[in-house]
This record gives sequence, structure tokens and C-alpha cells, in this order.
Amino acid sequence: METQSPFLELPDEDPDTIYELFEKHGWGDGLPLVAPTDQRVTEMLSSIEFSPEEVIAVLPPRGGSATYRSVAVNAVMAGCKPEYFPVVVAAVKALGNQKINLRGVNTTTHPVAPLLIVHGEAVEKLGFNSGLGVFGPGNRANATVGRAVRLVLLHVAGAVPGPGDASTQGQPSKYTYCIAENQKENPWESYPVTLGVDSESSLTVHCGENPHNFHDMESENIERILDKAASAMTTFGVNNACISGGEWFVILCPEHAATAFSQGWGREDVSSYLFERARMPAGRFREQFNLLAWADWMNSLSDDELVPMTQQVENIKVLVSGGAGKHSCVVPSWGMTRSVTVPI
Amino acid sequence: MNMKIYSPEGDLKDEVVELCSTAPLFSGGKIGILENGKPNADLLLTKIAEGLAGRIDANFSVTTGKGERANAATACNPQVVGMLAEEVELVLTGSAD
Repeated sequence: METQSPFLELPDEDPDTIYELFEKHGWGDGLPLVAPTDQRVTEMLSSIEFSPEEVIAVLPPRGGSATYRSVAVNAVMAGCKPEYFPVVVAAVKALGNQKINLRGVNTTTHPVAPLLIVHGEAVEKLGFNSGLGVFGPGNRANATVGRAVRLVLLHVAGAVPGPGDASTQGQPSKYTYCIAENQKENPWESYPVTLGVDSESSLTVHCGENPHNFHDMESENIERILDKAASAMTTFGVNNACISGGEWFVILCPEHAATAFSQGWGREDVSSYLFERARMPAGRFREQFNLLAWADWMNSLSDDELVPMTQQVENIKVLVSGGAGKHSCVVPSWGMTRSVTVPI
Repeated sequence: MNMKIYSPEGDLKDEVVELCSTAPLFSGGKIGILENGKPNADLLLTKIAEGLAGRIDANFSVTTGKGERANAATACNPQVVGMLAEEVELVLTGSAD
């Protein structure tokens, strides 16, 4: 294997100089970058105890080795503080899990981007935003951790628009896509606990679209609120329509979650309600799609029977994040990917 | 004064992959296509099969899909696999987005 020099030379640290060098190599996400000097990369690596050359994951389609060092380089470029680095590492580990299907995620014509959700002590300890404006903009931890992961996917994985990433239009969340669970205002247990992930801090990765907002300022019962969520889910314009294995992430704001809780609902009740309500007749799907990657039981339904927007209720995941104001969202899946939750 | 910065790319994995043994070239045999349900897979595979048949003096004789209710995401019907095994010596299949 030919090993290229890991270093490049810059005459100075002027932002324009860095821009020009990275543009010349086809690197970067189009935004200003922090120069990954040896000192900055060493500081970034000081937050972990692994050998810098140890490989975390090999990332397709390029097959680049995401070593602790190469991930640290990209974390520096993104503007991460060293204390954020374990979160970035956890994200890369998660993306290397076969369930994610990173080759597909990185190379598809779909606009899919990995959504990172931070849980547990890391949220407050590292200063992630889980409240007002959680999807952005404005918080350094959210913005730079999400960006670091995207830079790793661009540079190490080779998911560059054109040669690697065939996404027809892309989407804004391909710049950065990182939020935190609002456990302080969550009436239920933390999402990782429901999966049996026992860790002080953890990270979930779900590969999907930008969030689809829904709001309800009026209702005092959760059913009427979730009817709006179901309405946002019931569309032919998402891959969940034709790929029944796709998951949904339903991210309720604290007020909507509180309404559900006040009626004695758990998150399973929310999932069940949406599973039953977000449905359309099978015949309408068959009119719209020549190919339907559906579970067998869905294929056997007659045209008049109602089909859910995912093949099993367990695919509808419910979390709490955001601040006051009664807006929540659903995040559709790319479809041929499964979410992963890992300890940080 | 020059400043050194790291490349963000990381090394490519040093992987040695063993190729499958190649099938012997044949002439006068039969070629079939198994279109996998992706858009225009049948057109693409037909063009390739016709070109190949011309080159190696073979007959392009069978075109089939994966079976009833099968699609790009599902496995091929075993009966279809069996039919192809009986009818042809070479099958062309696979097409992506």
C-alpha cells in the first residue's frame, strides 16, 4: 500500500490560504475550516486513550481508514473542542456498523444524512443544546460535532457529490445534523434505556431526511396533536412509502410529550397510535409505485385495505427534544438502513 | 514561515482480495439475463448480452425477471434460478440506481 505524506504545507494560516489549498484538493464542505496543525490534532487526541493509528472503521465508498488521527484531523477542521471528540468517535463507530449500510447511505441518489442524537450526561457536560433551536443554528457542540462527522464522510469515506455521493439535490443537513435528547423535560425514560443501552452517555445515529415539522398550538388531547404527525408521515414523497422496513423518528417537543404523559400515555402508546393512523389504501401505493419493497403481509393486502407507513410499530421511535412553542417533527428514513445507538 | 497541516483523508485500507476463478470462455452456448427490477435493467442487460453473444458466438436466448411479486430488494424466486440453470450457461444480472 502506498502511504502518502499526511502533511501539507501552508505559507500562513489566513482563512483564504486554507480555503484555496482545500479547494485545490477538492476538500471541505464549502465553509471556512480550522487548519489541522499538529498541535491542534494532538490536543484533540488527548481526550482519548487509544493509539492515534488505530482504525475505528473503514468507510465506504472510498474504503478510507477512519483512524483516531484522521477523525481528529476532521474534528479540528470542523471547529470541535477536544472534549467533543469522544462523541465524534462514537458517531464514526456507529456509522461503521453494518446495520447503517453506510455504502448505500453515502452513495444513493436520495438526500439522506446521518442524524446524530446525543443522550445522557454528555449533553450538559459538553454543552450540547437540547432545548430551543435544537436543530440549529447557534450551538458550537451541536454544529461542530455534526460537521466533523460530515467532513469524515467527505474526506475519509469519499462521499463527495459526484464521484462518491450521487444525491440528486442533497439537503441542508448534509452540512451538519446533530441534536441532543432533552432528558430534563422528557416525561419518560431516556431513549437508549428503552434499547437496553446502559451507559452514562450514548449516541444514536438515524439516517434520513431533514426533519418534517408539525405544530399544534391548540389541542389539549394528544390524539389531535398526533393526527398532525400522522399527516406529515402519510405521504408518497418519502422512502418509507415504498420501503416498509424504514424507521421513523418522531421528535416531540416537551409540551407535546407532556400532553401525552398527562393522559397516561407512554412512548409505546404514541408509536401505536401513529402506526394505526398513518395509513393509506394499498391501491394508492400501487398506483404510485411500480416497485414496492414491502413486507409479505403488506403485499397480500387488497387495494382497499389500509397500509401503515412502516411494517411494524417498533419502527416508530419516539424521543423528546426542543424547547417551548409546540412544534415537533418527524424524521423519515432513507429506508435501507437501521438506526444504531452506541455508548460514548 | 511555512505551516504544516494534516491531510484530512486518511489512508486507504490495505486489502488483498482474491478474485473468483473465471469461467472458461465458451462459444455456441446460451446466455440469459435476469433483470433485477431496477429501472431500465432489462435494456442495459440486453445490450450487454447482445454484444457479448456477438463476440463469443453464443446465443442470447432467455430474458426473465425475479419472479412474481419480487423486486430489486427481494431474493430471486428459486424456480427462476432453477430454470436459468437448466436453460443457459451464462447469466447476466444486476443493475443499480
